Amino acid sequence: MATEQELSDFLKSVEKRAFKRSIYHVRDEEAALDIVQDSMMKLAEHYGDKPASELPMLFQRILSNCTLDWFRRQKTRNALFSNMSDFESGNDDGGDFDLLETFALEDGSQQAESAEDATRRAEIFREIESEIQELPARQREAFLMRYWEDMDVAETAAAMGCSEGSVKTHCSRAVQALSKALKAKGIQL
Amino acid sequence: MNSTQLEQQDRFARQVTARLAAGTAELPYEVSERLRAARSQALGRRKRVAALHTATAVSGSGAATLTMGNERQSLWNRIASALPILALAAGLIVVYSLENDRRASEVAEVDAALLTDDLPPSAYADPGFIQFLKQSSEE
Repeated sequence: MATEQELSDFLKSVEKRAFKRSIYHVRDEEAALDIVQDSMMKLAEHYGDKPASELPMLFQRILSNCTLDWFRRQKTRNALFSNMSDFESGNDDGGDFDLLETFALEDGSQQAESAEDATRRAEIFREIESEIQELPARQREAFLMRYWEDMDVAETAAAMGCSEGSVKTHCSRAVQALSKALKAKGIQL
Repeated sequence: MNSTQLEQQDRFARQVTARLAAGTAELPYEVSERLRAARSQALGRRKRVAALHTATAVSGSGAATLTMGNERQSLWNRIASALPILALAAGLIVVYSLENDRRASEVAEVDAALLTDDLPPSAYADPGFIQFLKQSSEE
């Protein structure tokens, strides 16, 4: 059974990546924070007594489910309030507000006075982020779990609820797409 | 896909995620704070659930102590819990029979007094005698 310290350390180690991954999916900072919070609560509440080694896998699964739930809720809400949102979009200038663009600007201004390579690094980071966001959801999920969360193919397949072959295909396609897109922008890693 | 291509793919993916990790290390202050708060809230929730589990376990073991922990004892326990009800029923029966006896003896005393009196019981049924009693009490 994971001790409180182990659970705390684990959550600390994954929270930033979980937040970023949620943002790539839902493209909304508040929603991403809610999803991460929800996932943490569920993990602690239902699986807090599990061994520490099982926590990463459980957390990935919970995070995926919470993200899916969010999309379902959005779908229902959009269906219910479609007329109202049509009204609002007419006089809302920030309709096409993109969080990452805002981040990009803020980051850019912060980096303005720093060294040239730091600016370049930040630019590459933003480009990578935007390209990852452009990936199809399943490819993005497989890619991030497999390489960012450092899960093996079997674990990723279990967390995504698909076959190992599908994970390999998703990852391969994601890598190809990213490589092509970054090359087109002249980015060398 | 051959192994060289796989290696290349893996290497590229690791480079991409290394960049992501480096960029993600510094999140805005509000976001970090929200995440920290979420973490502590989750840990608090775990504590509550753990406390609840412990309480259940304690009450469970308490029940086990009362029942001595097995089915047979729980049967005895049930019989024992029925004893007060049986005792109450038995008590009610005893009280009822005693009360019956007491009432019967009272009636018997009255009967005996009437029968052993100088005046015959049939006198009380005589209208003339009742009239005599009324007049004598008025005087």
